[in-house]
Amino acid sequence: MSSSVLDEQNFHHCCRLLLQQSEQLKDGWSWEAVQGSEEGYLRKTALRSVVTDSRPVWDHEGSSSESEPHTPCHTGLDQSGLVAPVDADSIEGDIDDEEDEGEDEGACTVSEGSSQVLQYEYHIVYSCSYCTPVLYFRASTLEGKSLSLEEVWSSVHPNFRLRLQNSPLNTITLQEHPLLGQPFFMLHPCRTEEFMRPVLQAAQDQHRPVNYVLSWLSVVGPVVGLDVPLKYSTQLHPTASLSSTKPD
Amino acid sequence: MADDKDVLRDVWFGRIPTCFTLNQDEVTEREAEPYYLLLPRVSYLTLVTDKVKKHFLKVMKAEDVEEMWFEYEGTPLKWHYPIGVLFDLHASNTVLPWSITVHFKNFPDRDLLHCPSSSVIEAHFMSSIKEADALKHKSQVVNDMQKKDHKQLWMGLQNDKFDQFWAMNRKLMEYSTEDGGFRYIPFRIYQTMSDRPFIQKLFRPVSPEGNVHTLGDLLKEMYPTALPNDEPLAGTLDQLKSSPTTTTTTTTTTPPCMSDTGALIPPPTP
Repeated sequence: MSSSVLDEQNFHHCCRLLLQQSEQLKDGWSWEAVQGSEEGYLRKTALRSVVTDSRPVWDHEGSSSESEPHTPCHTGLDQSGLVAPVDADSIEGDIDDEEDEGEDEGACTVSEGSSQVLQYEYHIVYSCSYCTPVLYFRASTLEGKSLSLEEVWSSVHPNFRLRLQNSPLNTITLQEHPLLGQPFFMLHPCRTEEFMRPVLQAAQDQHRPVNYVLSWLSVVGPVVGLDVPLKYSTQLHPTASLSSTKPD
Repeated sequence: MADDKDVLRDVWFGRIPTCFTLNQDEVTEREAEPYYLLLPRVSYLTLVTDKVKKHFLKVMKAEDVEEMWFEYEGTPLKWHYPIGVLFDLHASNTVLPWSITVHFKNFPDRDLLHCPSSSVIEAHFMSSIKEADALKHKSQVVNDMQKKDHKQLWMGLQNDKFDQFWAMNRKLMEYSTEDGGFRYIPFRIYQTMSDRPFIQKLFRPVSPEGNVHTLGDLLKEMYPTALPNDEPLAGTLDQLKSSPTTTTTTTTTTPPCMSDTGALIPPPTP
């Protein structure tokens, strides 16, 4: 019976494997150590071309209609304001498999968006409280101006926004980075165990190795524009990849 | 827990006399007087400073006012840390009242989280409560509570209602004696010496041999430089007292033997 949580040692092991593959694929991940200690995080920067919806994306937290705050792990997001109609062409240039989503059933009106190139920085940090990896990221214009939470939301692909609305998967909030002390956006980790459990169980049943961090990343990454190429799973790695789950 | 009620009350009602002065570069229509306030140690800056904002807005034009933020001797103050922690971290060795500078422009968004409304503070507070319970009870207690219970916890803090707060918080502070206590102790050791804002790791309340861990044991394992020369715990407390940059703190839901801010040391009486 595999555990659907990840201890720190396994986290490091999964990161090392991911790093090896990233180097082969030239996917740009690096390991940043904390002050020469064993602790650290995976880091990657990427440029994204997005069309940011000029309209506010949601009824801002604190507006009078809301009785419930946007607490992560509760109902997720306020439905009324979240999905702003977005022009169906607001697709980032670097996600190839989403090119064909021109016919978005949900999109109604066309918005005036402006196209921008943004610099994203992604960190994968281990949470010992939840025994899972957590995705932190920040975004800025090329001139170095940080994006606000609303701007980040407006650059989340409308299909993902819809999904986030309906599932308590994650909420994007502004948090202090636990290792760097600076503001970063974060996808809340408290539901990770829920969606990883079936993945790990299936892998266990089929006697297939699984990299917890890689599988997790492939679920949460695309939501915030982080592409995880299929090649991570299809290429052969030089070292035998062991299952990263902890058998009980 | 009933015996500790006095300690719980002392922690809850801890106050820091503070003087708020407007940053001299702000554009005002006339001179701004400083504003004095007793800040609750267990609360958050942006939750308790509406009066401060109102006071300074009286002498400013709306167009010169953006998101309010606070600074102490050049350091932006992180509203998402409990006030007591901020004071202990930055100003515990100085004379009271604590002098904080108020800003309405040039929000330092590389240093501070934005705080557009009280629901952001509530979300942050509840997130801390949940994380603490993940460590104590694998989230079972907090997840079994109803939404209205969570709300009561928050309202108790927001409105400074000790009984209302603890009616709910005591559930989060219970553990079966068979288990030997919480699964892990939720703690954070805040420091200003490095980029890393705090140290937070897994720590069991009881050693593998069955001995109850003390604060000294925790520090020995997590922050040994706070305990040079292997001094006994009493000596250690003196050292912590005199060290301006290290504060051991815990969330408000930890056992009452630890204060929410300055470790086991009561704050200096104003």
